[in-house]
Amino acid sequence: MSTNEDIQLKEPNKVNEEVDDVTKIKFFGGHEYDGIKELDNPLPPWLKYLFYVTIIFSISYLILLFVFKDDSIIQVKEYRKEVMAARAKTEVAVKEEAVKTAAAPMTEEQILAAGKAIYDKTCLVCHGKFGEGLVGPNFTDEYWIHGGRPEELKKVIIEGVLDKGMISYKSQMNNTQIDHVIGYILSLQGSNPPNQKAPQGVKN
Amino acid sequence: MELQKFSYDNRMTRNFAIATMVWGVVGLLNGLLIALQIYIPSMNFGLEFTTFGRTRPVHTNAVIFAFVGNAIFTAIYYSLQRLLKTRMYSELLGKIHFWGWQAIIVAAAVTLVMGFTVGKEYAELEWPIDIAITVVWVIFGWNMFGTILQRRTSHIYVSIWFYIATWVTVAVLHIVNSMAIPVSFLKSYTLYAGVQDALVQWWYGHNAVAFFLTTPFLGLMYYFVPKISGRPVYSYKLSIVHFWSLIFLYIWAGPHHLLYSSLPDWLQALGTTFSVMLLAPSWGGMINGLLTLRGAWDKVRRDPILKMFVVGITAYGMSTFEGPLLSFKTVNAISHFTDWTIGHVHIGALGWNGMLIFGMIYWLIPRLYNTKLYSTKLANVHFWIATLAIVFYAIPLYIGGITQALMWKQFTPDGFLMYPNFLETVAQLIPMYTIRAFGGFLYVLGFLILVFNIVKTIQSGSFVAEEHAEAPALESLPEGKTQSESGHRFLERKPIRFLIFATIAILIGGIIEVIPTYLIKSNIPTITSVKPYTPLELQGRDIYVKEGCYNCHSQMIRPFRSETERYGEYSKAGESVYDHPFQFGSKRTGPDLAREGVKTGKIYKPNSWHYNHFIDPQKMNEASIMPKYPWLAKKEIDIQSTPGKIRAMKILGVPYPENYEQKAIEDLKAQADSIAKDLAANGIQTDSNREIIALIAYMQRLGVDISTKSTKK
Repeated sequence: MSTNEDIQLKEPNKVNEEVDDVTKIKFFGGHEYDGIKELDNPLPPWLKYLFYVTIIFSISYLILLFVFKDDSIIQVKEYRKEVMAARAKTEVAVKEEAVKTAAAPMTEEQILAAGKAIYDKTCLVCHGKFGEGLVGPNFTDEYWIHGGRPEELKKVIIEGVLDKGMISYKSQMNNTQIDHVIGYILSLQGSNPPNQKAPQGVKN
Repeated sequence: MELQKFSYDNRMTRNFAIATMVWGVVGLLNGLLIALQIYIPSMNFGLEFTTFGRTRPVHTNAVIFAFVGNAIFTAIYYSLQRLLKTRMYSELLGKIHFWGWQAIIVAAAVTLVMGFTVGKEYAELEWPIDIAITVVWVIFGWNMFGTILQRRTSHIYVSIWFYIATWVTVAVLHIVNSMAIPVSFLKSYTLYAGVQDALVQWWYGHNAVAFFLTTPFLGLMYYFVPKISGRPVYSYKLSIVHFWSLIFLYIWAGPHHLLYSSLPDWLQALGTTFSVMLLAPSWGGMINGLLTLRGAWDKVRRDPILKMFVVGITAYGMSTFEGPLLSFKTVNAISHFTDWTIGHVHIGALGWNGMLIFGMIYWLIPRLYNTKLYSTKLANVHFWIATLAIVFYAIPLYIGGITQALMWKQFTPDGFLMYPNFLETVAQLIPMYTIRAFGGFLYVLGFLILVFNIVKTIQSGSFVAEEHAEAPALESLPEGKTQSESGHRFLERKPIRFLIFATIAILIGGIIEVIPTYLIKSNIPTITSVKPYTPLELQGRDIYVKEGCYNCHSQMIRPFRSETERYGEYSKAGESVYDHPFQFGSKRTGPDLAREGVKTGKIYKPNSWHYNHFIDPQKMNEASIMPKYPWLAKKEIDIQSTPGKIRAMKILGVPYPENYEQKAIEDLKAQADSIAKDLAANGIQTDSNREIIALIAYMQRLGVDISTKSTKK
């Protein structure tokens, strides 16, 4: 039960001691506050050197910016560099990708699955979980506002219908992905999900 | 030398200690609530008052200013008297301080849940409360300096150095950051705009951490650790060096909260470098605390109170190591806007502040009540539960934060975002949030054990209101510095001079950072296409602030390919020049909104989408963790406040045409009608005077100004 009562009650040593019993380090004479004394230890050297290192680092960093205007610290330059590097890399990757897809065509099932994955990420927030339509039009009925042929859908996805709130997705999906998602959307025809939005546009 | 008899007043210490526990329960339970709300949106119980955007500021304010604040005053009212061998200067000032502070806390809680907020983190309180805080803070300072000046000791101990620095810096920070133009009794616009506001805010915000959560606790540590362990302070020299370097350097570090934002590069660089330089001074405090326990380690093993101090000080060492780390731009590019930051601050809050408070209360209450702690065993249980709680709290947030940041940045080989849907990156966090909430639950549980233990202790003892003491009167000291005394030793017996030096030390950094940002135009290049908000958008923006949207959504696109691909053009300094207050945000629980209104952009949504989404986000995507805001469609816009708001904006320098306030209501109604008409065309019938219309107008304005150049209009 008693943990530190003993400490509390113990009066600070009245003897005129100058050295701490435990560590054998000198006390600072005259430093005593409510029984608290202070030892005459120097700063730990490693801490002092750590401080010097951080100061040297900081000065160098600031010189790099203020004097040399180094690109790695100026964020707009850093950004441009990043975008250029990415552009160069993706150009190569796109070519490789095209070769790969041509070499290994997907089955219809695989296409639909890939299309659904994209749909669930991107399209559902406006067209509903099952394509029943929400803010955007219904995909499951036979009515289309901008035409229901694959190339017409592709145009909408790539260019968007800005006045109606459909944005362009050309920077968010590649060509193959757009084809997949169109395949999936067209497969929803006649699926008759609940809560369908009223038909919009003209019958196919 | 004749001994003078006097007594220490324990009443205020006791009052503040009890207030600490009461607000601790409130603040921690509130923390647990928002830990659940962040992934279970229905935990707002369908009420606007208990929605995350409002309860999160209540939590931060409650734990910082109520729980920690009262603990600081407990420590100061106890240790100050004993370190100076004198009674507190004035009982009346003490009473005003105590009751004033509690009244402020109640007013803060009520106004925040009601939605009265300035919209700046940790400085949300509206102007009448800000004034009250200033008054009470001055009264506290008066009482403290009165006590220091009537001391019976020749010198002031290191704890008091920290108390002095705390007092002056918090006063400066609070007053400068809270400057605002009132529009009505509980509504004001902050004096600063955009990037300048962000700079002042994070100068304040970071130094609230430094001078409210750190320096007073170092003072507390310097008193209680040697007192409880019976060991001398490890190094007086280290105390001096780390005190001055800490307070001088800390004030510069604020811009590290704005790395890769539209803040000028030179300010960001100062933020990084001064944060890095803070490592050694911070660790100086940790070392002086831990090494004071040299020769008392067997006592530490037995005593839960000392164990709490050891874990607390170690947590301080960890978070002050992590702080500089997070200030490197490369690390910050990953950590910022994620839960990593939340994990980081809670190592400090739960570990350093929490553990030190627990230890202090367990030690103090039995002494104030002349009894023994009811159960050391329970205190031990609390220690282990709290330690475990910190682990369960922080680790999932580190994992979740890093995972999410990497997902945000992931590209496919052909150059598309791997996870273009923000919600995909949120789904990964749900298990982490669950474990975090469990950690939070453990921490609350531990605290309830403390409350039980303390109530039992109080019941078993009798309160010692007046603790008798005696000490010789203070001999008159030589006016000037004597030959044998060092410069610092001289300063320690000149508290007013000490205060002045400390004030100079803390002003330098702020002045060098803030003034040029105002005076030198190139820091914020003008963009001519940026225009003031329309009256309806301004009202919508106020609703955005009121609902605390900034707690989850940023408006700051960093210049990274992963962000410009996801959201659009990165944010520029000149864009936010009319934003009183700035709304950059500090956390992305939801996506960034800085380009929400850009029709040709990547995240544009039509009015009808916004309408549906505000009322029921889960209808648009069932995985969404955003709470529903159905009241926005019911509540009416406070149209009559419009002219006053325009007038206030004009005082702040926003260039509305002359006498525009007279035309503002008309314009507001016209714009609202056009939005209502568009909604009607899409099958949504609503009155045009609803808050939701104003908020939609604001959403559709975001980012539009700088994109007008590229669109044909």
